[in-house]
Amino acid sequence: MTNHIWQVFAYELQRNLRRKGFLFTTFGIPILAYILFFGYQFISSRSTGGEDIATTITESEQFQGIEKAGYVDHSGLFTDPGDLRSVLSPYNNEESAQQAMDAGEIDIYYVFPENYLDTGDVVAYMPRFSIAQATESLVQQLVYAHFARNVDPILMSRLISPAAINEVNLQRDATGETTTNFDVDFPVIYLFVMIMMISQFTTNGYLMQTIIEEKETKLIEILVSALRPTQLLTGKILALGVLGLVQIAVWLGAVLLLARIAGDVGTTLLFLLNISIPTGTVILFLVYFVLGYLFFAAAYGMVGAISNSMQEGPQFAVVFVLPAVIPLYFMTIFITQPDGTLATALSLFPVTAPLSMIMRLTISTVPAWQVILSIVLLILTNIGMMWLAGRLFRVNTLLSGQTPKLRDIPKLLRG
Amino acid sequence: MQSDATISVRQVIKNYGSFRAVDDLTFDVFSGEVFAMLGPNGSGKTTTIRMILDILKPDSGQISVLGGAITDAAKDRIGYLPEERGLYRSVKVLEMMVYLGMLKGMSRPDARHRSMELLDLLELGEHAKSKVSELSKGMQQKVQFAVTVLHRPSLIIVDEPFSGLDPVNTRVVKDLLLSFRADGGTIVMSTHQMWQVEEMADRLLMIDRGAQKLYGRLEDIRQQYALHAIVVEGQGDWAALPGVDHIEHNGREGTTLYLKPEATSASVLAAIATAADMTIDRFELAIPSLNDIFIQVVEDR
Repeated sequence: MTNHIWQVFAYELQRNLRRKGFLFTTFGIPILAYILFFGYQFISSRSTGGEDIATTITESEQFQGIEKAGYVDHSGLFTDPGDLRSVLSPYNNEESAQQAMDAGEIDIYYVFPENYLDTGDVVAYMPRFSIAQATESLVQQLVYAHFARNVDPILMSRLISPAAINEVNLQRDATGETTTNFDVDFPVIYLFVMIMMISQFTTNGYLMQTIIEEKETKLIEILVSALRPTQLLTGKILALGVLGLVQIAVWLGAVLLLARIAGDVGTTLLFLLNISIPTGTVILFLVYFVLGYLFFAAAYGMVGAISNSMQEGPQFAVVFVLPAVIPLYFMTIFITQPDGTLATALSLFPVTAPLSMIMRLTISTVPAWQVILSIVLLILTNIGMMWLAGRLFRVNTLLSGQTPKLRDIPKLLRG
Repeated sequence: MQSDATISVRQVIKNYGSFRAVDDLTFDVFSGEVFAMLGPNGSGKTTTIRMILDILKPDSGQISVLGGAITDAAKDRIGYLPEERGLYRSVKVLEMMVYLGMLKGMSRPDARHRSMELLDLLELGEHAKSKVSELSKGMQQKVQFAVTVLHRPSLIIVDEPFSGLDPVNTRVVKDLLLSFRADGGTIVMSTHQMWQVEEMADRLLMIDRGAQKLYGRLEDIRQQYALHAIVVEGQGDWAALPGVDHIEHNGREGTTLYLKPEATSASVLAAIATAADMTIDRFELAIPSLNDIFIQVVEDR
């Protein structure tokens, strides 16, 4: 009895583990994400070049199409352009600057009025047709070069940009005093929900495929002459469930590794550094994953039992998929009001509970009774679903070459 | 239920809703014989086979297989070749055979060894690592047959074993069936190819609309359907012979002499022997082919 389940389990595991589709989603997606991440790191590190002002100044492509510029100083502050001489030339008056621009020697010239220090006003002159843009950064460099010549570049960069604020929601206490932070939580939720959904739909999709294949090829008749249909279904569900967990483990591992590496490499994916998921949440995440998986496994098992072709299966499966993804449409509501009526209701309703609860747990502190209630409801629903699947996954349905009509379903359930 | 028969079916009834698929069927299959199940399409053969295999449960009646009610252990001693057959398409031949062998209680090394042995026997050894979808239809049929006998069953139930096979492969499968029987195995065979039944079967059951029409030894049934007629070849005016009612010329098959009720084959033979103007090359009782019997039974309903 259990021997057959084990045999089916072992076979389905090794067979599906070698599927190209599974290998791609499990390992390909993280690899792709790594390539994108490091590619982005590489490109952005090349173009920003760090905080050293001196090296930045000479790179004329920084100045938005300006190869060479000039300036006329009526304030008497900038007598010498210093290190900027290669890109910025001083002129005594507007006329000589204008001549230089007409001659194509410079792309633009700035005029500093006498009261520049008080007002900060600067006039920029450009030809009528020019790819150059009147950028502030050249002026900025000139000002720094004059007034902050001896200031440490790192100190300088802090003076320019004192705080790169990344809000982190640390307060998840029982008082309900939760400050939502779109910047950090949204990607985290998105990541969790996507991992869960992709994994569940891939593995359960395979479950349905293997059933329909056995029906289509009629191999099912040989199989049921050796074992009971429920043994076959149980073996398959267990095997694909394990594959789902493997997938989740690989993905979560990849994310955590990336978060570590990201900390060393740079700050591009800052939110990754802030993923400090409490162990309790991870466990609950797994619980909801397993329960959600079982719900869909039963659903897809039923669909597989009554479908006769690979085209039919996914069409029937939509009946279960659509309600389950409802929480995704309300993602914004989950982020802004994680403990509101809608979010609470969806996280208790068994079909939508796995996705909804994971979203809420990431953002807010969900009362324990709600978590327990939703898990109990989900377990009860799963028992019911498994019972239904067991009723449908029987010889009459499996060996019949016809898809039962909706009105035949109650009869099939009665057996 | 204890029984000496390999398969014992007693008063079995099976309904699908209001449709009676099998109607009070009773028969035995004995060890070491080739037992043929005949019947038109939809007559209940496959349903009966599925009940023997415990895939379906009868609504009433008893079935015992290999000496008792069917158990998982008993199932491991039965090989089944369904009429509608198929194999995993994208799986390698050997891998699939090993899986199916293990489901029938074999160990992995044994299943592997035996699979290779059978594949070699069927001249498919080089295809062991091929995917099923890469094989020709005939090769797939042979693999299917190999799966049926893979776990060394003592009883095999084969539904239309020759369909889709060319004459060469028909010969191959037939030889395998006969050697299976020679080794003491029991065969239940359902087929529409009557000449195969005539050649191979010891006993037969014919069912129509779920009910038994003919049951017994092949020779007995043919005798039972023997016509009151004689087939002859030779020269002479057959119709003028005493005791002959009317004649029918069958071309190369000779001439059939239908006898009057009071005449016997011996009296007719004596009359031919004494007739001066007659020569005779062949003289035999007109026994109908199984095909004729089948058609007659179905048309008489």
